[in-house]
Amino acid sequence: MSQNHGHTLTARGPDLTSISNRAPWEDARMKLKPSTPTRKPKPPKPENAITIGVSARVLFNMEKEQQIYEQQGLEDYIKYQVEHETQPFSPGPAFSFVKALEAVNTQLRELYPDSEELFDVVLMTNNHAYVGLRLINTINHHQLFIERFCMTGGNSPIGYLKAYHTNLYLSSDPDKVREALEEGIAAATMFTQEKITEVSDTQLRVAFDGDAVLFSDESERIYKAHGLDKFFEHEKAHENKPLDHGPLKGFLEALGKLQKKFYGKGQRMDCPIRTYLVTARSAASSGTRALKTLRSWGLEIDEALFLAGAPKGPMLEKIRPHIFFDDQMFHVEGAAEIGTVACHVPYGISQAMPKKGINDKETSSAPK
Amino acid sequence: MVSTIQNTDVKQKEADRAVVVAVTSRAVFDCGADDGDEVCEVGVAFPLLQALQRVNERLLEENPTESLLFDVVLITSDSQQQQQSSRIISNTRHHGLEISRFCFSSEEDFTESLLKNNVHLFLTTDRDEAAQASQKGVFSALLNGKVASSEQLRVVFCGDAVIRTDAEPPSASQDAAQSFWAQLGEMRRRFGVLDSPLSLVLLTSRGGRESCGAALQTLRSRGVNMDEAYSLAGAPRIPILSLLRPHFLLINHLED
Repeated sequence: MSQNHGHTLTARGPDLTSISNRAPWEDARMKLKPSTPTRKPKPPKPENAITIGVSARVLFNMEKEQQIYEQQGLEDYIKYQVEHETQPFSPGPAFSFVKALEAVNTQLRELYPDSEELFDVVLMTNNHAYVGLRLINTINHHQLFIERFCMTGGNSPIGYLKAYHTNLYLSSDPDKVREALEEGIAAATMFTQEKITEVSDTQLRVAFDGDAVLFSDESERIYKAHGLDKFFEHEKAHENKPLDHGPLKGFLEALGKLQKKFYGKGQRMDCPIRTYLVTARSAASSGTRALKTLRSWGLEIDEALFLAGAPKGPMLEKIRPHIFFDDQMFHVEGAAEIGTVACHVPYGISQAMPKKGINDKETSSAPK
Repeated sequence: MVSTIQNTDVKQKEADRAVVVAVTSRAVFDCGADDGDEVCEVGVAFPLLQALQRVNERLLEENPTESLLFDVVLITSDSQQQQQSSRIISNTRHHGLEISRFCFSSEEDFTESLLKNNVHLFLTTDRDEAAQASQKGVFSALLNGKVASSEQLRVVFCGDAVIRTDAEPPSASQDAAQSFWAQLGEMRRRFGVLDSPLSLVLLTSRGGRESCGAALQTLRSRGVNMDEAYSLAGAPRIPILSLLRPHFLLINHLED
């Protein structure tokens, strides 16, 4: 594992886009020797970019280290990390999603070399800087384009999320995710998965649940309070009244903005970004309100899949999204079982009331 | 003309081991016009001095014979403040500040008082004063204008200048900076990862993860382990600084 001692890679001057005869995707996979100082493209200004904040534990697999922290405490954890500094972590649940974002960036840079409307992935971890070198070495090893990070040494990363105009925050800590949601930042909890099926490397696919993810939980409340029939009735009656927005609406909007850039260059049919709505609503009745709501927001979704209550697994298996957002753990777990990277949006009426007084190891101030 | 008054209320520190921090008195006390009221308003540096004191207290808790302590010296160089010298001294007592020496000089030779007192770090709100002291080889830093609220002493180092090419000989000021950092690093090592009275924070504005990583390694090789690290890679500094709440910022004046 090599590092660039003393090489300050200050990316100033004109952006250098990779102009080649190869397909853009091949460029993204081009092997760069970590020790070769290359002129990397400059990271975009936060206000122009679509910023994705990821915690260390979702970007990389740190299960073993997490165990050490939980069983032996912080000092041993840090000691272990420093001792294994040159040993890169293996990929975590958010890894393929981040790679796909970078591949989209490569294409965008080729089409719009001067634009800063790109994805910007920022590592937001409350690890101490002692672990920093191992994280940097791992980023180098996997050739990820992550130039910005905040290692807060135990402090809350939420303020930094706001300072970076974060559009989406992914973490393994549900408390931090909830905090982010409360601050109006789209966020979801990710879990380590046993099985991750292969996903496309030519197209970023993002799948969303509808209620309490893209939309508010107002309809879900009716379903819970009055049952399915009342829910259908209510939705039909209010078909033309747009639903209120949910926590992930802004992220869908950001994806749509980038999609339009591809359309502008004639890439509509084979757009490198594809979005999906995967909802328990039914096409026959309650689905209409969902579609009309999206339309009233000026948002498009490429495929709307109305399952009328059927399990989401088989559909997700067909779609193979890089990431799937749902507010119900039941669906998140179901998706994970078939190997879809699914994350939980802890928002709305479907959430269990937090238990008081239970020492939940998952939500301790473990480095994330 | 430079004169130094020792504060007899405070135990003097060991000259060759202590970390001497000089602060301009106008940053500590805002003694307004002579209105008869003995008690002065506290200035922006006041919380910093309290934080330095807490670090000393914790160091002595760990080891009652500890000699690596902060040694705080108050510098008064403007004539107006000098007229208030007795008020400055009495306010120091009143607020229980552990200031060991008071130095009075004229504006022209305040740097002399810094050198005479072997100052390792000079803190001021005045950019010109900081530059002047730097030129004389005294490591200087600007005080954070906004009063920091944390109890923990938070030192933010803007690390873009950490990596120097070997072709350039180090300036006196850079040497002073390095030795100050080594002292801070040693102090930090007296405490565990959690519950430390001081936190060392690295911030790199330009460059990306590689330059931040290189800075972390360089600092570590000098015995300075950072608690927190932020790589901005060109993102605006001010929103992040307001979250970091440093008591003081160490920047290479020649660069910024």
